[in-house]
Amino acid sequence: MERVPQPPVNPALRDPERHDFWTGFAIALAGIVLIVCGARHLTAIETVEGGTAWETQLVKAFSSGGLQFPEQLALAPPPRGDDPAALERWARQRAQYSRPTWKVRVDAGATTPCPT
Amino acid sequence: MDNLEPKPKAPATGPPGAPDGCAACGAEGRQREGTVLGRKLSRSRPWVQAGFLGLWLAPAGQWLHGIPGCVFHCYSCPLSAFACPVGVLANYAALLPVAPEAPFLLLGVLLVVAAASGSLVCGWSCPFGFLQDLLGKLTPGKITLPAWTGHTRYAVLAGLVILLPLILGSKGVRFDNQAVSICRLCPAGALEAGLPYSVQGLLTGHGWMMSWFKSALLLAFVAAALFIHRPWCRLFCPLGGLLALFNRFSLFHLRFNPKECVECNLCRSRCSMGVKVDRKVNVSGCIRCLECTTCGAIEPRLAGPKREA
Repeated sequence: MERVPQPPVNPALRDPERHDFWTGFAIALAGIVLIVCGARHLTAIETVEGGTAWETQLVKAFSSGGLQFPEQLALAPPPRGDDPAALERWARQRAQYSRPTWKVRVDAGATTPCPT
Repeated sequence: MDNLEPKPKAPATGPPGAPDGCAACGAEGRQREGTVLGRKLSRSRPWVQAGFLGLWLAPAGQWLHGIPGCVFHCYSCPLSAFACPVGVLANYAALLPVAPEAPFLLLGVLLVVAAASGSLVCGWSCPFGFLQDLLGKLTPGKITLPAWTGHTRYAVLAGLVILLPLILGSKGVRFDNQAVSICRLCPAGALEAGLPYSVQGLLTGHGWMMSWFKSALLLAFVAAALFIHRPWCRLFCPLGGLLALFNRFSLFHLRFNPKECVECNLCRSRCSMGVKVDRKVNVSGCIRCLECTTCGAIEPRLAGPKREA
């Protein structure tokens, strides 16, 4: 590392910076409690399989494109052209389509490498 | 004050490029214990950083993506072991209007690391910091940025990582589709994920997959790292900013020993982050690379239940 010339130091100006053990200890303890809670935390978000997602599954879903939103499953637009079979198929799908009741759900098996 | 007692005067500042510790010797010319430890730490740091790189690069596969890491390492990297804490936080913020969830794991990991060591992980184990250190070694001169520039990290944390995803999320834009987000602007993502996938795309005939904007961002970052020491850590890293807030409280900390100070100026001149080490050392601008400990008067310490003398 390069040494850069600096103005002279003045030890008299130095803050003694007393360090308290208990503040750091309390914060670390709070962190450990949060980790334990997080590891056992069932979120309120459903999974694709129908269960409830663990927090670890939700975090994994962030990194692997595993969050599903209802609009992803929205009905496709009507087919172009005059193919009566395709139009009939689309009409049948539309009749059966019902908008999902969930707002978001977790697909624990998603493996999209780069969601963004 | 106990730090006002007279001390032997050493030469004010060694010449630039002088061997480490030459001005940090005592009046008799022998090296002090703290100096020896500091120099050992300084020499071992790149090896420790390389060792941690092996840990973050998923030697056991990608089975820990459900756990947020404590360093800045993109989870889209083909070899990432843990989830990026910044990406996870931004995702939580974007999800908040749809499904309010508390990030217990993320907060827990960050609190434990921050309380134990503050920003020590920045200086010793962050893979992106290591990369910037390596890039910085390629060029001799560095532009010195004023200390206040470090506050931009908190603007990035509040604006790009929390508020923007939250606002766009409340408008129904999911995080993956947000045109402006920390993940789309992050040079670590461009380097660790965009670049490997783009090279793979070129090799398999799919072409360059990274957007021109992100490619330009990556080039700009590499250029900046050649002339500014750790530009990302210094100016933008929200994680480093967050961890550094705990430098005042962390169990591991730095302590100035006035009896060892010979006013050699080595502590301040060794600091590449522009911290005024001669005034205060446990500050938010510090990445705890421990280079300042080569002077011998600043000692790495672990706080104990007994009050320090």
